Amino acid sequence: MPDLFSGRSLRRALPWLLIVIAALVLPVVLPPFRLNLLGRFLSLGIVALGIDLIWGFTGLLSLGQGIFFALGGYALGMHLQLSSLAPGELPEFFGLYGVKALPAFWQPFTSPLFTLLCIWVLPALVAGVLGYLVFRNRIKGVYFSILTQAALLVFFNFFNGQQKLINGTNGLKTDTARLLGELVGSDAMQRNLFWLTVLLAVGSYLLCRWLTRGRFGDALIAIRDDEPRLRFTGYNTTVYKTLVFAVAGAMAGVSGALYTVQSGIVSPQYMAVPFSIEMVIWVAVGGRGTLIGAVLGAVLINYAKSLVSEALPETWLFIQGGLFLLVVTALPDGLVGWWRSGGPGRISAMFSAPPAVATYPDLELDPAVQAERAKLEGGAQ
Amino acid sequence: MNTHHATTHAAAAPLLELRGVSVSFDGFWALNDLNLRLVPGELRAVIGPNGAGKTTFLDVITGKVRPTKGEVLFRGRSLVGIAEHRIARLGIGRKFQTPRVIQNLTVRRNLELAVKGSHDPLTLLFGRLSHPQRQRVQELLAVVGLEAHVAQQAGSLSHGQKQWLEIAMLLAQDPELLLVDEPVAGLSDEETELTGKLLRSLAGDHTVLVIEHDMEFIRELHAPVTVLHEGHVLCEGSMDAVQSDPRVIEVYLGTETEGEFQP
Repeated sequence: MPDLFSGRSLRRALPWLLIVIAALVLPVVLPPFRLNLLGRFLSLGIVALGIDLIWGFTGLLSLGQGIFFALGGYALGMHLQLSSLAPGELPEFFGLYGVKALPAFWQPFTSPLFTLLCIWVLPALVAGVLGYLVFRNRIKGVYFSILTQAALLVFFNFFNGQQKLINGTNGLKTDTARLLGELVGSDAMQRNLFWLTVLLAVGSYLLCRWLTRGRFGDALIAIRDDEPRLRFTGYNTTVYKTLVFAVAGAMAGVSGALYTVQSGIVSPQYMAVPFSIEMVIWVAVGGRGTLIGAVLGAVLINYAKSLVSEALPETWLFIQGGLFLLVVTALPDGLVGWWRSGGPGRISAMFSAPPAVATYPDLELDPAVQAERAKLEGGAQ
Repeated sequence: MNTHHATTHAAAAPLLELRGVSVSFDGFWALNDLNLRLVPGELRAVIGPNGAGKTTFLDVITGKVRPTKGEVLFRGRSLVGIAEHRIARLGIGRKFQTPRVIQNLTVRRNLELAVKGSHDPLTLLFGRLSHPQRQRVQELLAVVGLEAHVAQQAGSLSHGQKQWLEIAMLLAQDPELLLVDEPVAGLSDEETELTGKLLRSLAGDHTVLVIEHDMEFIRELHAPVTVLHEGHVLCEGSMDAVQSDPRVIEVYLGTETEGEFQP
């Protein structure tokens, strides 16, 4: 049994294998409703990737990614509201509040090209400006987290209150809109959106991988581990942090837009405080600093959530809290980290005969001694 | 033999000059009218009892702490108000009191981050290390004897190896002025001796300022010594002269009993 898991390459490759199989098989076998769920969760994987980039690699725990997520969603939502209108018509909700003319900031969203840019450039800009101000003032750690959450609340309350501008609490519906002549909510369109999500998720993953692999990624890790050291080495760490925060913001925007068209609505609920915290939990459970873990965490937890909520609607929050506790206490590197460090082998070892040892079990099986040895061999840390 | 340096260099233009630098932390004066000159190529040791302001002194030079009063000049240019990374790029490298290396990166990657060259994000993303940069990394690995550990995570090195890796990172920046805070804390006798040799060999091409508690180590450096006390320069001179200075004896024996110091 342990042999099955001992191959390092297999351990690394298996999550990928699962993903490829899932991407090829699931669209064929899943009913449209389930496929749509998967597409939505995969799009959440993109915002999770961004969080992994800023938190797992750079050490910036943002509790406000919902801002950028919702901005991307609203950008696309506004375009869809406008795209299916006859000339001179206004989106329906404006009539409810007696608005007679389209607000000026809506105008550019009639252009598909502007919208496509806006989906990621706008969140990136907002993140960049917010990030720059925060990082320049050397705000970090828990203060950074609190600040991002406060910013999230500001955006949430603002969007909630603006009925005349963006339909306030009710949000913008996208299902009945038409995109390229096709109803957004139709099965065919949803299937295309699923493939688009797969494409963009893979693209985002590759982007993150490229960012984290080389010296740039090393600099991010150095910022996480010892920022002053890097600063005294001649690095302007503020620029690095701002840049990476803006990239994560852009990814959140793309994620929000994809999520919106697959859910049929964008509303200020996307900026609710618990939702942004959940995003962090996906990454923690999947595995910080592993990239693939962020995507897996987002998809698995959300799938579990929808399954559990169908069967036992009351219990999900407890399960989610329990998962988070489990990860914090027992699996600090998340599921993927546990998998890569040979966790499944350890579990199977618990149920099989004790392994043969060369010296004394006291020495060879003592976790403290093993840890020491691993450290000496350079495997630790 | 190096004891004359302070006098022979006195006429040369200083590389670093602190003029009347004072630092107040909420009314506590960590530095109090500190004056100090370093000439190019000099090796200087700074000692002083705990709380004498040695680390604040480095913080002021490297831009971490802004002086409340006074002027810090590097090559005649004021450093006050300049960001840390810019001061580092001007050619001032700093080694911290406790070894500060990037634990989760390998030895080689630590050095590749530090090696002299552009530190802009775009360069790091799109550029590759040049041949001279790679060579420099290899050279430094040899200098500090970490060739066998290139692929090892820095966090798993021994304490002494971490100290040396940090010194190597410092050298990789190719700074004109090296500020070295307690380089031999926690090192074995042999490692201490090698570190002393390394620092002595650096002086001349570089200007080196060493802060240490270990008096034996300072003596081996054969460098002029500056004694700090309560944020002020108490006296300067050769190790022998300083050790027989009654004010120094009083400071060390009067305010605390430091076993290492035997005048």
